Amino acid sequence: MSEAPLPPDAFAAALREIGEERYHHRHPFNLRMHEGLLSRRAIQCWVANRYYYQTRIPIKDGLILTKSPDAAFRREWVERIHDHDGRQPGEGGLELWLKLADTVGLERGCVERFDPVLPGARRACDAYVEFVSGHDLLESVASSLTELFAGFIMHTRIAAFEKHYDWVDSAGLDYFRSRTVQAPKDSRYGMSFVLEHATEREDQERCLAALRRKCEILWSFLDAVDRATSRPSLVPQALLREEDDGSSVVVLSERAVRIGGSGAEILSLCDGERTGNDIAETLARRHPEAGEIRVEVHDFLEQMGSAAALRFEPEPPEATGTGPTSEEAAAPDPAS
Amino acid sequence: MSGEAPRPYNLIAELSYRCPLRCPYCSNPVDWSRTRDALATADWCRVLEQAAGLGVLHVGLTGGEPSVRDDLEEIVAAAARAELFTHLVTAGLPLSPERLEELARAGLRSVQLSIQDAAPEESDRIAGTASFDRKLAIARKARALALPLTVNVVLHRHNLGRVREVIGLARRLGAERLELANTQYHGWALENRAALMPSREQLREADRIVREEQTRPGPEILWVLPDYFGERPKPCMGGWARKNLVVAPDGLVLPCQAARDLPGLEFWKVLDHDLAACWRDAPGMNAYRGEAWMPDPCRSCEHRSRDFGGCRCQAFHLTGDAARTDPACVLSPDHAIVVEAREQPPDPSWRYRAATGK
Repeated sequence: MSEAPLPPDAFAAALREIGEERYHHRHPFNLRMHEGLLSRRAIQCWVANRYYYQTRIPIKDGLILTKSPDAAFRREWVERIHDHDGRQPGEGGLELWLKLADTVGLERGCVERFDPVLPGARRACDAYVEFVSGHDLLESVASSLTELFAGFIMHTRIAAFEKHYDWVDSAGLDYFRSRTVQAPKDSRYGMSFVLEHATEREDQERCLAALRRKCEILWSFLDAVDRATSRPSLVPQALLREEDDGSSVVVLSERAVRIGGSGAEILSLCDGERTGNDIAETLARRHPEAGEIRVEVHDFLEQMGSAAALRFEPEPPEATGTGPTSEEAAAPDPAS
Repeated sequence: MSGEAPRPYNLIAELSYRCPLRCPYCSNPVDWSRTRDALATADWCRVLEQAAGLGVLHVGLTGGEPSVRDDLEEIVAAAARAELFTHLVTAGLPLSPERLEELARAGLRSVQLSIQDAAPEESDRIAGTASFDRKLAIARKARALALPLTVNVVLHRHNLGRVREVIGLARRLGAERLELANTQYHGWALENRAALMPSREQLREADRIVREEQTRPGPEILWVLPDYFGERPKPCMGGWARKNLVVAPDGLVLPCQAARDLPGLEFWKVLDHDLAACWRDAPGMNAYRGEAWMPDPCRSCEHRSRDFGGCRCQAFHLTGDAARTDPACVLSPDHAIVVEAREQPPDPSWRYRAATGK
């Protein structure tokens, strides 16, 4: 026997509660961004990765359009694609994001080719498109309801950039400004759609689950950026042991992680000084022949992070990165 | 059989069966008080060194209550010297916060603390002694020392209704991990089964709450449904004498904490043999190793490599024959025993763990 549906007020409150608890406004990376604690290169990394997310949004909205037989819905929803893509070249949210990328000092071509996109960030963005692809209209719309909280975070962000990151030209913040208007409008429509169509308890539960999933996706996106821009080191209680066969194992409370392949070399660079991105660059220079070494580094840091074997200390805002460390600078470039 | 024993990864060092708590579900043998603490400090140090040589990575120092031993610091230091990850499984007393700091200095790396309930008076009632406040003091000290903290709560009919409060408590204490351990009916728990057995409705409600809480930020929550209510038995100890080895307070080397009760099995003591021999060659260790011993329906079952036929001790205590399929399995010809036990009317009172006559 299925349970009675929640009254609309209670259902709306349950959706908002999910956002209050799980939306990425609580993520440590965003908290630090808004407190002015991010380094310039951490901001750059976030902007470059987030561009990939922005490019997935119109694709996701296109998928949602195909799910509705209702012309009025499609007329409303297609506006989102126009908002992002613009009516002609040089307009729209994607263009505004590229303007932000210019402003923070990124090379536009490199951003457009997704060169700096981290594997974990890419997986998170792709997971959103896949979610919408694999779920029905109601759940897809419900997953977009993170917009309920986006207007608020945009105001915080604009204020934080103007206050703390004076090296970012204010004109670069136009994307955030545009979203302070669009997000509340979009979310009002999304919310009324969900309240109207989720009339059974089971549908309501599916909507709540979809919104939770979306919050997880946004969270894991920031986890990836956070790891890459923070400085990993082994947690103090970890025990690094050598096995009889010469391989290594990191022993932790309740688990042990075997370190294979390039892991030992990556781990040796987790010194609490280098960021995840620094480690990836260092190894890419050391092993120019290994095409996927950056991906290996970031995936390794993710695995070790989720096994609670590594801790990640944010780098201070004034950190600029040192380029090659003395070790690499002294060593002859293996490629030359 | 010799030479080809699997590598043990985990040593469960039961330093003493003594404990200031009297929980009615204690997994120690019912006649625990007959077993003396026979290993001197030097014996434990030797065992730890030999365990590392066998490939063991983790040592759990447990009991009873490990902090009843005065030489715990020396034992922790010996484990650290042997490059073992050292984990203390404690009830929180007679341990003190100051002593926990000493242990951390000696090389302790993590702590598992048992709490009996989120409600202080209920926790004390199940423990049979005032202990709740001291437990919280240990939890706070563990966090202050940056020792990863696991909170373990054994669940049963009398506390399942407060599972959300239990999770809230673990969150407030800053635990990294919460083990919600539904009572396994061994030792004292089997004696008190009718008093502890939850109802199906209680379990269903708790399951719903736990799944909801698992998606929230906070400690990693381990939640395993009791095997009396499942379809398949637990992969007890990850298989008999396969990954885990136990050294009991009298030096007996066992495949699990309860196996000493099984009749007709010969286990060896670390006072008579080195640990490798006790693990590899003792006839009891080889009695149910691998799959050759398995009866029907296990021997041809697709689940046998996952659950290893379940728990030998449970098979013995419920059927009288340790070599039968665990009756917790729906495929066991003895499964009716489990069905009957879970449907029995609850017994309103339990018997606290106590010392038996000499």
